[in-house]
Amino acid sequence: MNKIAKALAAVAVAVLVLLIVADTVKPALKFSFFAMNTFVSGEVEGKSLKETNNEIENIINTLDKMILSRTAEDSFVYNLNKNGEAVADTELFGYFTKLAEVSAKSGGAFDYTLGAVSDLWSFGNTPSVPESNALAEALSHSGYEKVILSDGSITLTDKNAVVDFGASGKGIALDELKNYLDTAEVSRGVISVGGSVLLYGNDDFTVGIKNPSGASDYAAKLTVKECCVSTSGSYEQSFEKDGRKYHHILDPETGFPAESEVISATVISESGLLSDALSTACFVLGIEKGFELAEEFGAEVIFITENCEIHYKESKDTAISVSGNFTAVKH
Amino acid sequence: MNIKLFKKGDLAVIIAVAVAAVVFAFFAKARTDKPVAVISVDGVEVEAVELYSLNERKEINLGGDYNIKIIAENGGIYFEHSDCPDKLCINAGVLRESGDLAVCLPAKTVITVEGTDVDAVVY
Repeated sequence: MNKIAKALAAVAVAVLVLLIVADTVKPALKFSFFAMNTFVSGEVEGKSLKETNNEIENIINTLDKMILSRTAEDSFVYNLNKNGEAVADTELFGYFTKLAEVSAKSGGAFDYTLGAVSDLWSFGNTPSVPESNALAEALSHSGYEKVILSDGSITLTDKNAVVDFGASGKGIALDELKNYLDTAEVSRGVISVGGSVLLYGNDDFTVGIKNPSGASDYAAKLTVKECCVSTSGSYEQSFEKDGRKYHHILDPETGFPAESEVISATVISESGLLSDALSTACFVLGIEKGFELAEEFGAEVIFITENCEIHYKESKDTAISVSGNFTAVKH
Repeated sequence: MNIKLFKKGDLAVIIAVAVAAVVFAFFAKARTDKPVAVISVDGVEVEAVELYSLNERKEINLGGDYNIKIIAENGGIYFEHSDCPDKLCINAGVLRESGDLAVCLPAKTVITVEGTDVDAVVY
């Protein structure tokens, strides 16, 4: 062999080895942006990624502006609250039906008509403890049973009821994104809408549950297949007043922050809406009732308690590894 | 079969090149595995800090409508000040590990620690 051939052979081997070691040759695109009043970030693998990225942003912004927003004048929810009635397309009516089902089966622990009550608390802005008369008044106009769903039309029996997607909107966004990814040339995708996450594709994914103490290690790591995962945690938004701490997950019965032994509930479900809504419901219900509710919807729930216990049920789809600072409690 | 493509010496050279390639790739990967905190404002990266190579406390004044001030020190980075109403960014505490995230929504300012060992974090 002549020298050139040998040199080429050496280069070829080097390139081959580099390619094997690098193992990151799959085209992937990371993105992040602000939408729906939250931070969206993610990574998709596949073809036409730039287009996919633009479409993801577009889907979330359209969903917010046209459907979920309480303030945008073109939005469905804005007009429903204003007029007391509206007609929804099949998909949107499906979301309402599911929300009504979660509300009913949770005995009202989840309620998508709490808008007037959460406005008084003003979390996400300058939160304060509502005055008790105002709170009682707002509560009297809340209640999922004030929404009548029939054949695509939605009617509020109380004109002052305020439908609010605050505890389910991120999950609905994940469902919309999943529908889109099914039609796009995406082989694998991870999208976080304000901490609610879609894991898309035929693969294993690892998901860290944020440590409620604020410490940097994860409270637990989950290994899951394609699904949606949402967490409701009392540590995420809270404020202190007169030595008392108030967090943002409201109990629809009292209008006050829910009190249970739980400081976070993480729900894994095929449906984004369910993962989001059930995480709130399970937080409010607490461990025992929360497990029952999740099971009714074919979802899994993982609770973290004040005394650093992590409660979960064994499952064939999800592997969980609990951090050393927490005690694992299997049910 | 006795067709020798390479002499011993040639083979040694090729193996040496392959080993060098592996070593290079290993270090290239190791470098990206070091946690790097990236600060971005409205989607535009404004600063990247290698978290474990700071010798002193570094003050990053972003100013803006909310007077954002970020502190980076060896092993951690956090929002020190923001005029936003809910202070969620400050309450997010010190970010140390890959995947950690703090967001100031009103100021559209994000700190993320890159180099990941999980696909996603729920919060």
